[in-house]
Amino acid sequence: MITGIAERRSILRFEKVKLVTGQGEGGETIDFEMNLLGGDLALINLERPRFGSILADACCGLHQAAEGTIFFLGKDWSALPSNTANALRGRIGRVFIFGNWINRLTLLENILLPQLHHTRRKFADLRGEAVRLAEHFGLPGLPTGLPDDAMQTDLQRAACIRAFFGQPSLILLEEPTFGVYPEILPQLINAIRNARDRGCGVIWLTIEDQVWNDPMLPATYRYRLTARKLMEVVR
Amino acid sequence: MSESPEMFIDRDSQAAAKAGPGGFPANLGQWAINQVRGMIAFTGIAAAVIWQGLRPLTWRRTVRAEFFEQCHQMGLRALPFILITGSLVGLGMVYQAIYWLGVFGQTEFTGPILVLVLVREVAPLFVALTVIGRSGSVILVELGNMQIGGQVRMLDALGIDPFLFLIVPRVVAVSVCMFSLTIVFIAVALGSGFMAGNALGSMDFTLYDFAFGILAEMGPAEFATIPLKTFSIGFVVALISCTTGLSVSGSRSDLLAALPRGVTKSVLATLLISSVLTLLL
Repeated sequence: MITGIAERRSILRFEKVKLVTGQGEGGETIDFEMNLLGGDLALINLERPRFGSILADACCGLHQAAEGTIFFLGKDWSALPSNTANALRGRIGRVFIFGNWINRLTLLENILLPQLHHTRRKFADLRGEAVRLAEHFGLPGLPTGLPDDAMQTDLQRAACIRAFFGQPSLILLEEPTFGVYPEILPQLINAIRNARDRGCGVIWLTIEDQVWNDPMLPATYRYRLTARKLMEVVR
Repeated sequence: MSESPEMFIDRDSQAAAKAGPGGFPANLGQWAINQVRGMIAFTGIAAAVIWQGLRPLTWRRTVRAEFFEQCHQMGLRALPFILITGSLVGLGMVYQAIYWLGVFGQTEFTGPILVLVLVREVAPLFVALTVIGRSGSVILVELGNMQIGGQVRMLDALGIDPFLFLIVPRVVAVSVCMFSLTIVFIAVALGSGFMAGNALGSMDFTLYDFAFGILAEMGPAEFATIPLKTFSIGFVVALISCTTGLSVSGSRSDLLAALPRGVTKSVLATLLISSVLTLLL
């Protein structure tokens, strides 16, 4: 449990939300009720892999709720103008399970892209923070090649660097240990602890039971996301 | 494998069901409605690009970097090709005009003919076709691949509006490059034609006379036509390529189907814009 934060603010709140996970008759409706506070880590086990991207998109305000409201930092995603919504999305770090990299840009450019776009921080400053994160995640330095030329393990570490880069308010991790489990776990848990200590909320999505059951993960909540609802599992 | 009559009947009934109760007229009507809808949507996107392109807030450092990268790819890297083709057109067309007008003693028409044919018509059209083949198709495939690969969604999730990051810089870059390449093409074509004529001894005027003769024939309409044609063709070609690429969903086969569609639309739009502006100016 985190310490040092007198009053924890709500980072992400699903209020009586129903998410539709497909189109037509194949679509399923999932009930969501969750309030993620600053410093929380919610570990969610997915019954089906595609639920991960849908839930992560809903957290970013990209997947509209069929019913109910999704609040991010107290603001209703559906009521925000696109400019404001985009600016708020700039405060979310995310590891994507699919389509992580723009192949034409180098990994360094990919990592720096969100901060270069949303802030006016100096390039040297950004680079310095990225170097520190790269060292933290066990890379000898910042990866500067193209994504297509990089090893899968380095790509996964680079994805984690981008997700934690720029002190986001919310971090969404879609299978962050894919291909690097369990060796990345100590660094990842350390980074999550640092983020939680400064009031960031973290959601970790996985289909791997092994990861979800890992006792090393200091989750505040553990959920199972089935085809019907999000269920909290109390241990 | 042979097909039974039942299979044909089934296929026919499926086709009939697909065609709907109205048959061919209904399909034609639906096609027309879709075309009009597409045109309205395209006009809306074009207006949004102009609006966003004029807003200083759009041009964040990432968008500026994307713009310069596109200028490099579509402008600078196309330059050698434009220089070569410009020289060849100059040798073929400008030299021929100089030679034959000289043979018939009509050298005073060299300027007007070159301005009318090369500067106003051939150069913008030729560069437009080059831009469609060299840049438009690349944009279409790149954005189509990004759409299929989930990178467009990724940009959205990171709060980077794909419209601002992908479409606006490409459209502006292609418009600027189209204009610049056309100017280079005209200069090279005229220069190489003059040099060929001079080398082969079929000219009796100096470079200064030749250049001044061309410029003297250029009125306000010509000075307006070149930027109008090039900017508008570049704008429309880039927008068609971007929207066609981003409309791809699903698989690589959709992208392969979208590529000729995008190129055909771009060529038709180019010819249409060129003709309309020629008639108007």
